[in-house]
Amino acid sequence: MSLTYEAQSELTRIAVKAGQILLQHGAESRLVEQTTQRIGIALGAQSIELSVSSDAIVITSLLDGHCVTTTRRCYDRGINMHMVCEVQRICVMLEKQLLDAHQVKERLNRLVPFKYNRWLVVLMIGLSCGSFSHFFGGDLPVYITTFFASAAAMILRQELAHRQHNPFVNFALAAFLATSIASIGVIHQFGEDPKIAMAACVLLLVPGFPFINAVSDMLKGHISTGIARWVFATLLTISVSIGIVGSMAVTGVWGWII
Amino acid sequence: MELIKLLLIDAWFAWIPAVGFAMVFNVPKKMLVYCAIGGAFAHSFRYLLMYWGVHIEWATLAASSSMGFLGLYWSRKRLIPRPVFTVASVIPMIPGSFAFTTVIGIVELNAGGYNIALAQMVIENGLRTLFILGALSFGLALPSILIYRGRPIV
Repeated sequence: MSLTYEAQSELTRIAVKAGQILLQHGAESRLVEQTTQRIGIALGAQSIELSVSSDAIVITSLLDGHCVTTTRRCYDRGINMHMVCEVQRICVMLEKQLLDAHQVKERLNRLVPFKYNRWLVVLMIGLSCGSFSHFFGGDLPVYITTFFASAAAMILRQELAHRQHNPFVNFALAAFLATSIASIGVIHQFGEDPKIAMAACVLLLVPGFPFINAVSDMLKGHISTGIARWVFATLLTISVSIGIVGSMAVTGVWGWII
Repeated sequence: MELIKLLLIDAWFAWIPAVGFAMVFNVPKKMLVYCAIGGAFAHSFRYLLMYWGVHIEWATLAASSSMGFLGLYWSRKRLIPRPVFTVASVIPMIPGSFAFTTVIGIVELNAGGYNIALAQMVIENGLRTLFILGALSFGLALPSILIYRGRPIV
């Protein structure tokens, strides 16, 4: 079967849309590459060549000696595994021929990122950082201090992210708030070793996903994307540390330095 | 008996951060239970290995690679990409505290001048962060590096 030029352009647009959604919502480069290629080939292209970088994708579809190339800029829209699952499901359904090109396009355009209730997330993050304080050997008063410090930091983080603030500013301010609240516990001596709360309450700001994605990109051959993600995660870590140091300078509780 | 009790407590406190961070990553609701099981399993397995005297880096590698293979099984079963369960499950093992201590130490080295104790803190924590992080990601990537080698998993 041979497709017209319009049909080839259309399949390229559908494939690049899928790749763009994946890259914007925090999928690793290998997954973006494979899924985009599979969708393009299932829609009838002979081959799909694409170049994934940290903030854009370039894709070329080949068909009977004709090439169609298109580029999409991919702004980071936050990690959302729900979107990654949905795109993957559309890809599998397309390969099993349960969907045609038109339906795939419609479904991709209809995807809306799923978000958990923010107060539920705040509660769970507070409990999570409380659990970390337990791993560091804290007792119940430390657990409670950590819970309130990290829950407050999470509320601030969500508010700032909602207003589209720069992530570095956001993380530094959240770290400042969490450390300040936890240092109240140190000043009033809540529990056996209240300094544990200062260490545990900022762990909600660890950029774990970017770090893991960075190393796995580099391991799977996407060195430049991996380096870009690694640098991004390192900068986030540095801004969190600046927030902690700023708070310790203000309150005078130097919990992190032995 | 004492060991089993310790492991159970560890697993109990490990599933909470796994699910909490899975919710930050917006993992679909049906998959949260896998994140909880994975987080509890991986962290308590690492605890067991460290209890037996294995170094933290090697224990992390073993825990994360077994998590990688468990994620492979779930991902084939549910047709869901692997990072959806695996990353949230290893989040409790991320060396966040070491990473922050390193950078805070660097900031203090700049502010207060060089001293041996601070430099030691920076280097030891920094190296530990790098090796644990490398072990975590390498362990998770192991199934696709060793078995699938470029073919799609789902």
